[in-house]
Amino acid sequence: MSRVWSQIAVLAGKDLAIEARTRQTLGLVVVLGILIIVVLGLGLGPQQMAPAPAPGMGGAAAAGATPGAAPGAAPGAAPGAAPGVAALWVAYLFAGVLCFEGSMAVERHDGALAGLLLAPVDRGVLYLAKLVTNLVLMLVLALVLTPVAVLLFGFDLSPAPGSFAAIMAISFVGLAAVGTLFAAVVSSSRLQGGLLAMAIFPVSLPLVMTSTQMLIRLFGQKSASGLSGLGILLAFDVIYLVAGWLAFELVLEP
Amino acid sequence: MDSTKRLFGVLFWVFTAALFAGAVVLAFAFTPDEATMGAVQKIFYVHLPVAINSFLACFVNFVASLVFLWQRRRTWDDLATAAAQVAVVLLTIVLATGMIWGRSAWGHWWTWSPRLTLSLVLWLLYVVYLVIRPSIPSAQRRAVVAAVYGAVAFLDVPLVYLSTRLMPQDVHPTEVVLAPSMRLTLGLWFLPVTLLTVGLIIVRRRALALQSQTRAVLAAAENDGPVPATIHPTGGVL
Repeated sequence: MSRVWSQIAVLAGKDLAIEARTRQTLGLVVVLGILIIVVLGLGLGPQQMAPAPAPGMGGAAAAGATPGAAPGAAPGAAPGAAPGVAALWVAYLFAGVLCFEGSMAVERHDGALAGLLLAPVDRGVLYLAKLVTNLVLMLVLALVLTPVAVLLFGFDLSPAPGSFAAIMAISFVGLAAVGTLFAAVVSSSRLQGGLLAMAIFPVSLPLVMTSTQMLIRLFGQKSASGLSGLGILLAFDVIYLVAGWLAFELVLEP
Repeated sequence: MDSTKRLFGVLFWVFTAALFAGAVVLAFAFTPDEATMGAVQKIFYVHLPVAINSFLACFVNFVASLVFLWQRRRTWDDLATAAAQVAVVLLTIVLATGMIWGRSAWGHWWTWSPRLTLSLVLWLLYVVYLVIRPSIPSAQRRAVVAAVYGAVAFLDVPLVYLSTRLMPQDVHPTEVVLAPSMRLTLGLWFLPVTLLTVGLIIVRRRALALQSQTRAVLAAAENDGPVPATIHPTGGVL
């Protein structure tokens, strides 16, 4: 067992070292994510997502323009929660797909994939190592994108920051489990770019639906029933971790 | 052998068409108009059997995908593709009839209710299955990747169902009380729709098999190699 762990550490460490030196994936992905959040913010329009302006500040004129959004008029309703969560998810999904693609694209150069396949390592371990790499990349991504969305959409994480982090972490495991599996297909075929996104998005829709509903309940309606979908997220993780671990070998043939 | 197969095929389709005609007559002449919705309610006789059969087609795709991964025989890949094609057609009908129904019953073409969302996600999953296939040039790899995707996609269905139930309000009734004549008509509609589903899957599978055999013959002719002996140009209708 400890051998498996050390194998995963070596393989994921190799990927992360390459990424740390070149930053070819993260540089691209972080900028894309920020761009998506900004575009969605502008597309939704400032009225949809402006944080309720604090009284006595320069926002008084804005408060006059949208009287319904004045603080206290709708107690417990955070106007930025639903669009903010949606924008975050769209950014995570698109940027995540590029992460998965990038971490597999490394193997396409100089016959690296053939070397990896020849290594005396179980193919399931290869899957888990790529999964760890992708999760680390997505974590970095989330550490940048989440504050950006919180700032621009003005939704308040302070009521339940732990729940937010937990829901997102569990969702990322599921998303990376699906993404790592399909990214292996990309490395050895023409299934690239948009098509990889097409394969990943519909399959990960339960994650998106469940976690957005949970987050909207947690932050928008401030109800305690926000964690009722946790079982679905965990089931998704387990099902796709097992499926990916079993099927990775099948789709990886170079 | 071929002629009996062909006769069976013709009989199958004539029988299915006759059942369809009978079902249409029953729906319009035998059942009463529903009290509040009027004639639009008759969509229900098509909607429910097609919905159930679209799940059946998805399930066939799942099983065929798994068997392909186990046995690696081309015929299972053809069956999985055929089932996915039929599933997309049926799901399109389900979505269309459902939207017409929703418009006249609830006043909206679309609501994000659990079952509508489930049908839409299913439709997306299997449309993507059909879109991914041609993007992989090698036939062997295409079959493996499609089979993995088919298995993964079907595993998604219960998760989608559970997650849609977190959404607010459901416009779908969980139990329907039907007049006896309506129940009989609905039951009769299941027969031709199921036969059509099964028949379409078989016909499509056969067409796909002929297609790949033709490709093999053409490739062999180009390379001056031996022509594979497996082709049956006069296969049955089924």
